[in-house]
Amino acid sequence: MSGALVAAARVGRRVIAKPGAALSIAFLAGLSTLAACAGLLGFDPLTQDVIRMLEGPSRDFLFGTDELGRDILARVIYGARTSLVTAAGAVLLAASIGVPIGLMAGFFGGWRDVVLMRIVDLLLALPGIMLALAMIAVLGRSQAAALVAVGITGVPTFARVARAQVLTLRRRDFVTAVEAFGATSSYSMFRTILPNSWSPILTQMVVLSSVAILLEAALSFLGVGIPPPTPSWGEMLRTGKEYLHDAPTFAVLPGLALTLTILAFDTIGRALSTVIEGRDTVIAARSDER
Amino acid sequence: MTHRFSIVRRIAGALALGTSLALAAPAPTYAQALRVAVIADIANFDPHQFSSVNASLIKNLYDSLLEYTPDGKAIPSLAESWQIAPDAKSVTLTLRKDVKFHSGGAFNAEAVAANFKKAADPKLGKNVFATMGIVDNWQVVDANTIKVNFKTPVPERQITDLFQFISIIDPAGIDTVEQKPAGSGAYMLGERVVGQRIKLVANPNYWRKNEPVTKDVEITVFAQDAAATAALESGGADVIYGGTARSAARLKSADYPVLSGPGPLVQVFRINATRGPFKNAKFRQAFNYLMDRENILKAGYAGLGEVVALPWAPSSPAFDASYTKTYAFNLDKAKELLAASGLSAADQSAWKLVVNSGSQPDVVISQLVQATLKKVGINIELDMKEGSDLVDTMLQGRFDALFGGVGNIQKFPSRLATNSIYRTVNNPVLGNPHPFPEYVAAISRVDTTVGSPAEVKAAYDGLNKVLIETAFGIPTNTYDQGIIVTGKNVTGFTLDMDNMLVLRTTGIKK
Repeated sequence: MSGALVAAARVGRRVIAKPGAALSIAFLAGLSTLAACAGLLGFDPLTQDVIRMLEGPSRDFLFGTDELGRDILARVIYGARTSLVTAAGAVLLAASIGVPIGLMAGFFGGWRDVVLMRIVDLLLALPGIMLALAMIAVLGRSQAAALVAVGITGVPTFARVARAQVLTLRRRDFVTAVEAFGATSSYSMFRTILPNSWSPILTQMVVLSSVAILLEAALSFLGVGIPPPTPSWGEMLRTGKEYLHDAPTFAVLPGLALTLTILAFDTIGRALSTVIEGRDTVIAARSDER
Repeated sequence: MTHRFSIVRRIAGALALGTSLALAAPAPTYAQALRVAVIADIANFDPHQFSSVNASLIKNLYDSLLEYTPDGKAIPSLAESWQIAPDAKSVTLTLRKDVKFHSGGAFNAEAVAANFKKAADPKLGKNVFATMGIVDNWQVVDANTIKVNFKTPVPERQITDLFQFISIIDPAGIDTVEQKPAGSGAYMLGERVVGQRIKLVANPNYWRKNEPVTKDVEITVFAQDAAATAALESGGADVIYGGTARSAARLKSADYPVLSGPGPLVQVFRINATRGPFKNAKFRQAFNYLMDRENILKAGYAGLGEVVALPWAPSSPAFDASYTKTYAFNLDKAKELLAASGLSAADQSAWKLVVNSGSQPDVVISQLVQATLKKVGINIELDMKEGSDLVDTMLQGRFDALFGGVGNIQKFPSRLATNSIYRTVNNPVLGNPHPFPEYVAAISRVDTTVGSPAEVKAAYDGLNKVLIETAFGIPTNTYDQGIIVTGKNVTGFTLDMDNMLVLRTTGIKK
């Protein structure tokens, strides 16, 4: 375990060494802190003041007010909470379903592999947004429904990644050795192969976080996401475009927050991928050779 | 003397010449074409289907038997006169003789009879069907006269409402009218590209002299209100019809002319009085005071409209402004009624407000009401729905409460009962038998009171009192579905009682 922690710390240090990734981590850390402590900092996303509706930025309202006179800054911050919680939940859900499916398919092979992978292929063949829309239609509109809908769309990706890892590791000596000592299938899968497969799965989790945030925002933008008055970036974009002339900050700021958050996750994901796959070391080595 | 005579004669001649030149001054000329921007494509060409998306075409392709002036006075159209029998049980219409349909077919009493037959058919009559309910039968007297008999004595306004509501379709085209227009209106269909544009061309045989003033009309369907607004501002469109109140308010502040007709809708907080806490009369009545109407109008409709506590437009004969003051937003009075209801706090919150998520004003005002209710301890969730799900929910009464627009509020008061929540029979929300017999009786009294103005007013007052007490519909404000915003050089709009787009007198003066 300590070895894994040391390896994780080493990967972390190499990721942070990349300026883009460091900036992205700082941004996400700041955003998460702000979202978690929004209530303590006195932000109120729900109080209405129709007399002050659609006001521009001012000392009272740094980002202006929305169509019901609510503080846009407070709603953007609370919207971050909605997006991050939905994304985290969706990614965990997708990983907790997809990884075991991939492990079993890769480990057992045969008919179980064929059946599980055809189901995964079926899910993969459907566009994510369509699958999510269909699930929302069944589950109704709520944050939990959005989380489940977004999460299910990520299941095939995790299943594919986990299966590929198992196929790579299945015939490796250390797995054969553990099995020779009488390890059960579940022990081999979850205690031997899985701990050695975490790096691409972790990368996938980071990458999928940005996809989940975007998908949640898309659902809200289409009017089937988290119902009002709960703040959500996608919903703010949807409403804000109606008032683009009267209050440009209304749509622009949540859009900016959404873009930066996705960019941050994507940058971290790419950095993580580069570090884990050792491409940065190869490049450095080649530089040394010169 | 001769010279003086000559001077006088010259002056007289000059005056005569001047006068004749003045009299012979050319009538104003208009640009050949008018470009109209709309936000949604039409559903079909049937003028008996009064869906809002069809409102840009109906009064241009068709004429009705009568029309109303904006202040509610009935004036001739295809019927040049009408004579109501002394017992108010029949009316005789005399039709114009100089009207032809676009096909060249003759407009006559037989054509009107064919339209009555369609309107009275429950499957074909569409929005006109309910209004035809007062008609017992009709007789073609001669080629240009038709007599309509009613089931009971009918007030004059209800009779004129009926004939204003019926646009006349060419009998030869009745069966195919959804796909192909068959009218006698000022314009004929030139071309339609579904979802994109409709071109209208002037009817060369139109019976109103010197109309239409513009020869070609191109109606372009814009997917977004903002795009239509940009088109007007950039000179790509001359008129926007049916845009949002917010855009209209913004354009008005930029000095673009904004026209609102006399036929707005009323936004009504519809309550299903057969469910949950809404079975309790005191609880329902509290909502008369819980509606922050001023802010609803401001936030939902950019202030374009009027706050009302009754389901009438100000032009309705039943309109009574005193109710708006009496039932103004008042949380203290609401709390008193909520306390008198005897319901626990949990019971008072045990319902959801269904919201039309496709309508931005509905989403805004529902959130406003949700926040207001929280102030009196009622915590509810919003249940967002749209499309067929919403329509089913509304028409099958599968809701506790929701906002919905109500039409026909500028006409005879009992026309209110054509709206689902206000129906007296087969009410899809409140069911059969109607749970409020006092409301049914009040509508019936309005329908049958043909006496003195005092008697008629007493019937209207009775209905208003019942509407407030039964409180299954809480009106909040009027709003205009057919707002017209024009370029600064467009003139001559004829405002329609139903806020439909009438273009026959509209043009850009050269």
